[in-house]
Amino acid sequence: MLEIKNLHVKLADEDRVIINGLNLSVKVGEVHAIMGPNGSGKSTLSYVLSGREGYEVTEGSVTYRGEDLLAMAPDVRASKGVFLAFQYPIEIPGVATMQFLKVALNAQRKARGEKEMTTPDFMRYVKERAARLNISPDMLKRPVNVGFSGGEKKRAEILQMAVLEPALCVLDETDSGLDIDAMRVVADGVNGLRSPDRAMIVITHYQRLLDYIVPDFVHVLSQGRIVKSGDKALALELEANGYAEFAGEAA
Amino acid sequence: MNVIVPKTAAELNYGLSLPHRKMEDWRWTDLRQLIDRPYPPRQTVVAKGVEKLIKSSPFAKVASARMVFVNGHFAAEHSQLKNDELASKVKIEEPVIAMNAAFATDGARLRISGNADTPIELLFVSTDAAPRTIATRNVIEIEKEASVTVIETHMGEGAYLANCVTEISLGESAKLDRIKVELESGEAIHLSHTHVTLARNSVLNDFTLTSGAGVNRQNGTVEFQGQGIDAKVSGAFMLGGEQHADTRLVIDHQQPHCTSRELFKCVMDDHARGIFQGKVMVRKDAQKTDGKQSSHALLLSETAEFDAKPELEIFADDVVCGHGATSGDLNHDHLFYLMSRGIPEAEAKSLLIAAFVGEAFDVVAHEGIKEALVKFSRKWLTQHRRAG
Ligand SMILES: Nc1ncnc2c1ncn2[C@@H]1O[C@H](COP(=O)(O)OP(=O)(O)OP(=O)(O)O)[C@@H](O)[C@H]1O
Ligand SMILES: [Mg+2]
Repeated sequence: MLEIKNLHVKLADEDRVIINGLNLSVKVGEVHAIMGPNGSGKSTLSYVLSGREGYEVTEGSVTYRGEDLLAMAPDVRASKGVFLAFQYPIEIPGVATMQFLKVALNAQRKARGEKEMTTPDFMRYVKERAARLNISPDMLKRPVNVGFSGGEKKRAEILQMAVLEPALCVLDETDSGLDIDAMRVVADGVNGLRSPDRAMIVITHYQRLLDYIVPDFVHVLSQGRIVKSGDKALALELEANGYAEFAGEAA
Repeated sequence: MNVIVPKTAAELNYGLSLPHRKMEDWRWTDLRQLIDRPYPPRQTVVAKGVEKLIKSSPFAKVASARMVFVNGHFAAEHSQLKNDELASKVKIEEPVIAMNAAFATDGARLRISGNADTPIELLFVSTDAAPRTIATRNVIEIEKEASVTVIETHMGEGAYLANCVTEISLGESAKLDRIKVELESGEAIHLSHTHVTLARNSVLNDFTLTSGAGVNRQNGTVEFQGQGIDAKVSGAFMLGGEQHADTRLVIDHQQPHCTSRELFKCVMDDHARGIFQGKVMVRKDAQKTDGKQSSHALLLSETAEFDAKPELEIFADDVVCGHGATSGDLNHDHLFYLMSRGIPEAEAKSLLIAAFVGEAFDVVAHEGIKEALVKFSRKWLTQHRRAG
């Protein structure tokens, strides 16, 4: 589903290389966890996958379902099923959450040649998913992420994911800032979306999340490349020993 | 009301009487340069296409009691309300008012007592091929404890100069929701002066949408003459092409314990030019004044321009006052976030622009009117939306 080959990424307005020869292959149905020290390039990878400006790919390729992902505009990537749950969700004053969800869903449906959802159908569709994530109808009326608490923002990201039903979900530290109950709710939400025709990349610092969302593979990202891969046991190992071992390796 | 006809030929001599850029308040709007021909007063009432214009008001579907003025004259046949007899009181030396005094032919005269549930719409339409001056003078008195919503809509076809002076007074604990929309013809010049006096404990919620006319200059003065007054004055510019709009607002705090808020959101496309001159004056006696003013411009093209001249003139020592002005293009992070959810760029931009300007609509309490404004802004955006 996703094939990242020898990816090199630098900042667009600086000569600083952030991703430095990264390889990753994700097959449909799989869940991959990416762990790694602060500043190792995890979020940068997620931005490059979703098409944020400010980064320049100098080498390598990203192929998504056989197509060159990097050649697509962010909205095209989204309508083809790529979704990023942001580490720091962005506040958009003046755009009500409900309206935003509706415009986004219908834009994607339109891009895929599907019929737009009617307002009553849509309301029901969202409310059902919001309830499962403990998101109040009141929150849906408020502007996107504006004044939401850290945990509310993360839950709102998962709601967007549940509404848009993407094929490739990239979750960037969705667990940070969540209390224990909220983490369970979010993990249930994510697990509910696990399916044989969907893949997930879960970026996290904590092994705890992976108790709920059990990954097929765990990768360690250090200084812009994957330095070790394994199964869920690797996460436990990292929890015990930290990243000291890799700091030297990548340098 | 009596028809005022200019008395001397000199009054027709626009070149001499027009304000120009050497006058401080008029430095951005040099009418001597912008008005390239005389606009003699209209002598006849030619009324073609009036129905069509009335129907194209953004508020056509809002239930209201209407007073229509066609080419500067009250048109009873299109109106549901009768015109009252009220005398003008404002005596200020100001170029727009002076021109109005020379040429005004008619205007709305309203005295409101009690609670008027239905909004009143004053609709000014101009229809004539020849360039003319159309001047109207409105006097609105809202009595003690009365409340009302007044819409002022300006529309027209062809080249003309519209000059509209509105005097408004609010009695003690009176409340006015005022919504003005300036949608004059693109070839028209719109000059206006709105003078509001507020008595103790009165409440003013004022909103102006400026989207029509080639040249627009609007003056507003709000006098706080009693204590405990709460006034909000908001506005939105939605301008494109070569449009020029200059708003000068004076908030005059004369008494203690009053609150004022001004919020202007300006969307400028193409070569449009917007100016916001906002002055908050706090006189010696106006202690405990809480006054804030801000203007924000969104420039959709590199050739659009916006100038803000905020002024604070404070003579009292125990006050909270502030002003802020920003100008810029769309926030790239916002745009990326929307696009990352599958919303195409043009649509994402429209959403963000509508959200930006929509903040100024918040002062409008009437749902139907607010909805009409939102609808108007969407329509404007589809006409001006650019992909690049
Ligand atoms: N737009 C940018 N401008 C400047 N520096 C950037 C930018 N984006 C990323 N960086 C830098 O690149 C490095 C990698 O950042 P990134 O956010 O990808 O790390 P991360 O692995 O997600 O870290 P964390 O675990 O703290 O979230 C950091 O040193 C960061 O400061
Ligand atoms: Mg990060």
